[in-house]
Amino acid sequence: MRERTIKPWWVIAAFFSGLAFAMWAEELILTTHESRLEFSAPRVHFLVGKPLERLRNASEVPFAVKVTLWSGTRNHLLREVQTRFVVSYDLWEERFAVTNLVTPRRTARHLTSIAAEAWCLKEMSTDVTGIRADEPLWARLDIRAEEVKEAGLPFGRGSISDSGINLTPLIEIFSRPANATQPHWIEETGPVTLDELRRGRRG
Amino acid sequence: MCKLLMIGIFAVVLPALALPLPDEPPNQETGPTNVNTRLIVESVQVSGRDSVKLSNPLRSDLDQVAGQKFDPPLLERLRDRIKQELRVPEVRMHVVKGGMPDHVVVNFEIGAEREKHFALDLSRFLYHSKQGWSGQGHATVNIHENAFSFGMVSDGDRLSERFAGIQAGFERRHVGTDRLHLRFDFSSFHEQWNQATLLQAAPDEIYRTRTHFSPMATVVILEPLEASFGVDFARYRLSLPVAKTESSNAVVTTLRYHQRWGSAGVHQGTPGGEHDIRASYSLRAGTHVLESDPVFVRHQTEARYRLRRGHQDLAVGFLAGRISGRAPLFERFVLGNAETLRGWNKFSLDPLGASHVAHGSIDYSYRGFLVFYDTGAVWDRPEDREQKQSLGVGCKKSGFQLAVAFPVKSGTVTPVFYAGMNF
Repeated sequence: MRERTIKPWWVIAAFFSGLAFAMWAEELILTTHESRLEFSAPRVHFLVGKPLERLRNASEVPFAVKVTLWSGTRNHLLREVQTRFVVSYDLWEERFAVTNLVTPRRTARHLTSIAAEAWCLKEMSTDVTGIRADEPLWARLDIRAEEVKEAGLPFGRGSISDSGINLTPLIEIFSRPANATQPHWIEETGPVTLDELRRGRRG
Repeated sequence: MCKLLMIGIFAVVLPALALPLPDEPPNQETGPTNVNTRLIVESVQVSGRDSVKLSNPLRSDLDQVAGQKFDPPLLERLRDRIKQELRVPEVRMHVVKGGMPDHVVVNFEIGAEREKHFALDLSRFLYHSKQGWSGQGHATVNIHENAFSFGMVSDGDRLSERFAGIQAGFERRHVGTDRLHLRFDFSSFHEQWNQATLLQAAPDEIYRTRTHFSPMATVVILEPLEASFGVDFARYRLSLPVAKTESSNAVVTTLRYHQRWGSAGVHQGTPGGEHDIRASYSLRAGTHVLESDPVFVRHQTEARYRLRRGHQDLAVGFLAGRISGRAPLFERFVLGNAETLRGWNKFSLDPLGASHVAHGSIDYSYRGFLVFYDTGAVWDRPEDREQKQSLGVGCKKSGFQLAVAFPVKSGTVTPVFYAGMNF
């Protein structure tokens, strides 16, 4: 009777398929570059839906991006990094431009949607000098598209006229659930150590 | 040597000029964040219901945008002006590529109609250091062409009495044609009287409550001239020991003219400015034909011209009126409030109100800083006529006003402070 053996290429194929699946399944990926911790989330797309609709109508859309890091235990907050980005879409070039509003302002232009999203996350990198290499870390990424300002102001533009103050926007604000319509994305990862990240394991 | 230097410079500079600049690392800059501000507006369109009703100044401002750089804040302001002017709940702005490279077409689409639109307005609010608080607010529900409103008011400023109560109204803006509007108003007030008025008034002139019912039709004769015709049925309960109710039923006719032209200048340096002129003449006649107790004829004419240019705002107003016969106190003319002879106390001028009035005012504001001058007189008999003047300074922005006014007279001068909105 002939003995059944597993061919080596099947093992290699299974390994790479598993790795690919694991990478594909990861929403928030941490990497280290020198003393900085960098973030990427290839499966998170925030230039979609209503924000994209506004962008394609030549409006600019502000995004608030926050990265939170915990160390040691899940309850020990290590650091919060918050930044606002303003994204716009060139109607003629059909490319995105992103400005990081943190001083000094930095702008990247002529980007595809994926490159624009990646650029925002790259801008969120944080210095991890002083963190022990074997200390477990957890990370959370929070992205929110900001609503049009006009809707948020009870006595904003358009509410005051010759006939008085229109109080209807105020009623509308208190009538709707807070942030119910605000598009937002939240991804988490961890625990992972800097050692593991430097050896090549993704967070 | 010189040749070698030139070759060296070209060797360094030319490749640098030929190579495209990379997108990254990103630029450090402070310019606009919207990349479309580099584009040029090819044309501006307004579509949807009522778009033809836009005023000439607004149309002119919209037309001026064509050929300019795409400026989102400016376009949003224009969108808000369209909303205000047409009283529509929503105006959407669509921006698409134009026919020429790097040009865009902007279309303002007037959205949902007035149907089932609800609005709550604080239409007037005032604090006057001599007369206290006054306020007026109303809620309006629009269903098709009909508007139903309900409001509350407490006003110690306009008349010699403080009146407080409710107001309700129904208006149909389209009766067969856009040129005919119908309106029915009902109001019911309780009165409070100042001691100075009580001392001078005859017992049968003071009333505790009054109610009004007023059906009115408005015909647009020829834009921008319109005429209103109707009747005001008023009943008021006198403050006599024996309760007695009187009626003041008057025929009301009003002619109104309102015209605007020019542009306030959304772009700096626009010559001319925006001109706005309003004028009206009103006739109210209480007659026995309508079973009115007091019989009187009341004429009133008003005119107001306003010029806005850049940050400057000039307004000139005129008021004149005359009553013949015996009119109830709420029909009489009052000066010395937050709109006329500012700085004077209406109770020291004429606590009962008067049968004759003449008044003029000039307001000038620059970047919200306001100065004004008022002059006028109220009288019953020609020998009582005495011209009064007042001056004031303050600030005014988006309908809000805070000011201090002084009567021009010899002796002790007491300033009057007032603050509020839309008075």
